[in-house]
Amino acid sequence: MKNSGNKPPALLPLKAKYMTNDIKLLGQHFQVPIQMPKDFFSVILEKGSLSAMRFLTAVNLEHPEMLEKVSRELWMRVWSRDEDITEPQSILAAAEKAGMSTEGARALLEKISTSQMKNQLKETTEAACRYGAFGLPFTVAHLDGQTHMLFGSDRMELLAHLLGEKWMGPVPPAVSARL
Amino acid sequence: MGPLPRTVELFYDVLSPYSWLGFEILCRYKNIWNVDLQLRPTSIAGVMKNSGNKPPALLPLKAKYMTNDIKLLGQHFQVPIQMPKDFFSVILEKGSLSAMRFLTAVNLEHPEMLEKVSRELWMRVWSRDEDITEPQSILAAAEKAGMSTEGARALLEKISTSQMKNQLKETTEAACRYGAFGLPFTVAHLDGQTHMLFGSDRMELLAHLLGEKWMGPVPPAVSARL
Repeated sequence: MKNSGNKPPALLPLKAKYMTNDIKLLGQHFQVPIQMPKDFFSVILEKGSLSAMRFLTAVNLEHPEMLEKVSRELWMRVWSRDEDITEPQSILAAAEKAGMSTEGARALLEKISTSQMKNQLKETTEAACRYGAFGLPFTVAHLDGQTHMLFGSDRMELLAHLLGEKWMGPVPPAVSARL
Repeated sequence: MGPLPRTVELFYDVLSPYSWLGFEILCRYKNIWNVDLQLRPTSIAGVMKNSGNKPPALLPLKAKYMTNDIKLLGQHFQVPIQMPKDFFSVILEKGSLSAMRFLTAVNLEHPEMLEKVSRELWMRVWSRDEDITEPQSILAAAEKAGMSTEGARALLEKISTSQMKNQLKETTEAACRYGAFGLPFTVAHLDGQTHMLFGSDRMELLAHLLGEKWMGPVPPAVSARL
């Protein structure tokens, strides 16, 4: 946001109102248990997610196989159960719920204030900005020597089209892993 | 007789490229889904002013993104949409006030022509990079849509009347009362509830809310529902 000069949409009152309902409807359609936190301005504009994203940066570097689950548990805290994600014990709880050991999670937590983690998060953020991101989620598909940039959770059917794949809606039938 | 069709209102402005994309999808599905599509010519400038919003293209990275997004969506939706060369001038300086007042008049006097005339205005500005502000431009679009020259001229004379100005204003205010901060803005009425959806990318969600089948942006053509 800072790099692009953009602002969170929620700062415009009619957008904030719209988003509350949009997120509820999309959650039902996508079967994701997403729910607006009670004090959502405080969550987004004051509390933020810096420690959580540095923690996920560390998970990505040292236990990448855990990244999906830990990310999901952090979202479940802040965007489903209206729980904190800024305090160390909050982040630990998410990591443990995802299946990390307490020692493993604590060890990573100690690294989040290192310049290595701060720089890595900065570098990933700069990579998004180089692709032209002005918000998140930002999806970049590499195919046939071309790079396609897609902004938003509502460009996945278009992504399927670009990839020559079948779109089966937001909740495709579960399939066994591709051989 | 089956269940009553559900009213779906589409608030749109021909100045808005995403409105064209949403419009084409709803026009394709109106004969497939059990809906009564009500097209509502609206002033996007009025909606922006009322909500305090700004055109996304004013942010350079969004303008760059939009150029490509519109091209990809046009291919996927099979709509021949193309950025005009001087797109800031088209959107921010020239605008669409006369065109939208004209569509307001078409809606009042020849509603059966509204879909085609709207489409021909979009084809001018958002496909062939042609003007839509001059009277002869609007006339050309109306004629291309199948209106007679006399019929189109008669409507054109009415666009500066307070009746047309007020009607466009009222439709714009209706969109604002629904919470619109941009266009296209779709309002679906079902089971006593009102669902507001912003953007050309909420049509699959609309299908879900209506309990209808989503077959992508280019559904197979079907004969009119009996």
